Amino acid sequence: MRPPSTPPSPALLLQDGQDPRTRAAAARALDARSLRAVFMDLVGRPPRRAEAQEWLGRGRGELLDDLLGSEEFWAHWWHEQLYYFLLIDNFRPRTRAAKEVPTKLAEGRLHYRDALHQAALTPTFDLRNPGADTFVTVVMEQFCGVVVQDRASELEIGKVAYEGGKGRFLGTTAENQADVIRICVEHRDASRHFLAREHQRLLRRDLERKQLRKDAGRLHRDPWAYLALVREWLLSEAYDERLAALVPKSNSLFVRCLFVDLLDRLPEDDELEPMRNALDGLADSRPLRSVVVRLLLESGRAAVPAKAAIEDPTRWIGQQFPRFLGREATPEELRVFVTAFHEEGCEPSTILYALLSHSEYQSY
Amino acid sequence: MHANLSLDRRALLRASTLLGAGAALPSGLLAHSLAPLRPDRRTKRVVLIAFAGGVRTRETFGTPANVPSLRQMADEGVLYTNVATSNLGHFGATMSIFTGISEPRGIRENARGNDPTLFEYLRKGLALPKQDVWVTTTGGAQQVNYSYSLHPEYGVKYGANILDGDGIFNKEFKDLLNDWGMPQPVEARERALLDRLRRGVGGGEDAAREAEQLARVEDYILGELSRGTTDISGAAAGDRKALRLARNLLSLFKPRMLGVVLQNADVAHGSFNAYSEVVRQNDAAIGELMTAIREDEELRDSTAVLVVPEFGRDRDLNSRRGLDHGDGSDDLRRVSCVAWGPDFKSGVESGRDQRVIDVVGTVCDVFGTEAPLAKGGRLQGLYA
Repeated sequence: MRPPSTPPSPALLLQDGQDPRTRAAAARALDARSLRAVFMDLVGRPPRRAEAQEWLGRGRGELLDDLLGSEEFWAHWWHEQLYYFLLIDNFRPRTRAAKEVPTKLAEGRLHYRDALHQAALTPTFDLRNPGADTFVTVVMEQFCGVVVQDRASELEIGKVAYEGGKGRFLGTTAENQADVIRICVEHRDASRHFLAREHQRLLRRDLERKQLRKDAGRLHRDPWAYLALVREWLLSEAYDERLAALVPKSNSLFVRCLFVDLLDRLPEDDELEPMRNALDGLADSRPLRSVVVRLLLESGRAAVPAKAAIEDPTRWIGQQFPRFLGREATPEELRVFVTAFHEEGCEPSTILYALLSHSEYQSY
Repeated sequence: MHANLSLDRRALLRASTLLGAGAALPSGLLAHSLAPLRPDRRTKRVVLIAFAGGVRTRETFGTPANVPSLRQMADEGVLYTNVATSNLGHFGATMSIFTGISEPRGIRENARGNDPTLFEYLRKGLALPKQDVWVTTTGGAQQVNYSYSLHPEYGVKYGANILDGDGIFNKEFKDLLNDWGMPQPVEARERALLDRLRRGVGGGEDAAREAEQLARVEDYILGELSRGTTDISGAAAGDRKALRLARNLLSLFKPRMLGVVLQNADVAHGSFNAYSEVVRQNDAAIGELMTAIREDEELRDSTAVLVVPEFGRDRDLNSRRGLDHGDGSDDLRRVSCVAWGPDFKSGVESGRDQRVIDVVGTVCDVFGTEAPLAKGGRLQGLYA
């Protein structure tokens, strides 16, 4: 199937539908928590301070229009896809073509399916999945969502093609490794599987089967429709419900949030990867997250005011709750924190450490 | 009250330092004195090593010079030479060792399963605290999924502590910590203040209690970072880190259940020689673990150790002079499992049909509990 040769304009893609519920959601004002959540879901970080000031109280639809399809959105999306394929660390694609993927996606020179295809064509994907059995299995599983054990004959045909033989693989003739990849990437099941996992990633729930079938059909016909579908999802009641509940931050998101919240910048790759890997190495990463919080707080690189410089502790503490937790402090919380603040040995970093190592900061 | 729960953080740090210096840990300082869970057995602890990554019997018990430590264990224990596996990919096949169920899982799937794991069966069935069940791994993000399942009757509250040796104790992370300034342990006064603040932000007493337990793990990790685990490099470095951590955890916490998941043998796809070296290195590291057990007065007569690969490898070399895993041969589908321990027979070799999924039921039986949802049986002819 050939996609359209050029993408429709973003304005056309992202205009509001006629559904009044969608229009209402688009107009709904962003509070501190939903603002943080939308930023984290779409660009993998909370808003910087200036952005928080700019967007607080404005409509969700307006923010979606700003973030969706931006280079930062695609950079985060690409990062998430590479993580899905476990193309991380030594397996992270470092070719120029791979690095240019987010830019090309943002400029409309690639659509999502092209990008996934490129991921599978990288040398590191091959290294990550060595040998015919592993390679063909992974491509079938990760692109098409196939339970390979249920499709043993297709696996065997795919392995023959991988080794240069000819066969009918998933309904299409294949005679080399590149064919195996292309057939899986362009398979109808791949559109369905991609949408299902994207919906789970963004809304933390399965897309209802009938809707999945409908959306997957639309995406399969037109891969440029991805952004429009995401916009619809993020203006749905399901996303309202997701915003109403806290969901856990991934380790990667936790580190990125911490850097933005404390340093007002994102971590470099050589900062993010060792931290994320270390956190990923624990079934319960909270003890090490706590270490990472202290690492940043004690580094001298975070802008933590001196205790003497805080003229109004109640106001300062009150500002930290929405800054980190996306909500106001309750009167009781404020009382406890302000009382503690005045005690000898309690520093501003102690207050920040208590908030950033708290279970509430582990979610968003 | 469980001894570990009453342990203060300073004592743990002192113990960590002693361990780092190579000194013997004062008996009973950290580990709790245990009774066997079955009165008719002497076993108090089990170490289960998933020698995963795909390891054929040909390079282990078929080449005794590669595996003197495993050979010694077999001579003193029971060797099962005909253990069936399923080619479910490394992740799914290793998962099956811990669940006792052979269910297909994606090779790169990074999610918890629906079937309870051995660790959940033990923690729920025996009311074990989390400090009593540890797993060390080498496979990164995927392998922490072995900790617990999504099963509604089990799940996170019965999960194991999992540490991935290579993910945490690697040069890059240590360099980063040193560059930014290694965090200092929190002093008691600040700790008390933090507990009060945490109680103040929702959560209440539970949040503070949980934070205290997490802080112990935090202290252990910081202590471990200053020991030599981070500096291990070369062939099978990840696996050797997992085994080193296991050794340290066994000495420090003396947990009831300690799982170890290896993975580096999969280098075989590209090089048979490198794979053989991994087998030899891992055997040596298992030997060090066994030495630690044999030399510890409390562990030597109370610890059982089982070693089993998740599957083997192909019969023939591939075009890169490596070994893949997908030909369906007996080399792939049949592996060897060794069981060593105070209640097991000695010097027995069994060729009877067993399955890797029999391990879960066996370990549960050793402890006197059950794995009600596992589909395997038990290793037969095991007990003396």
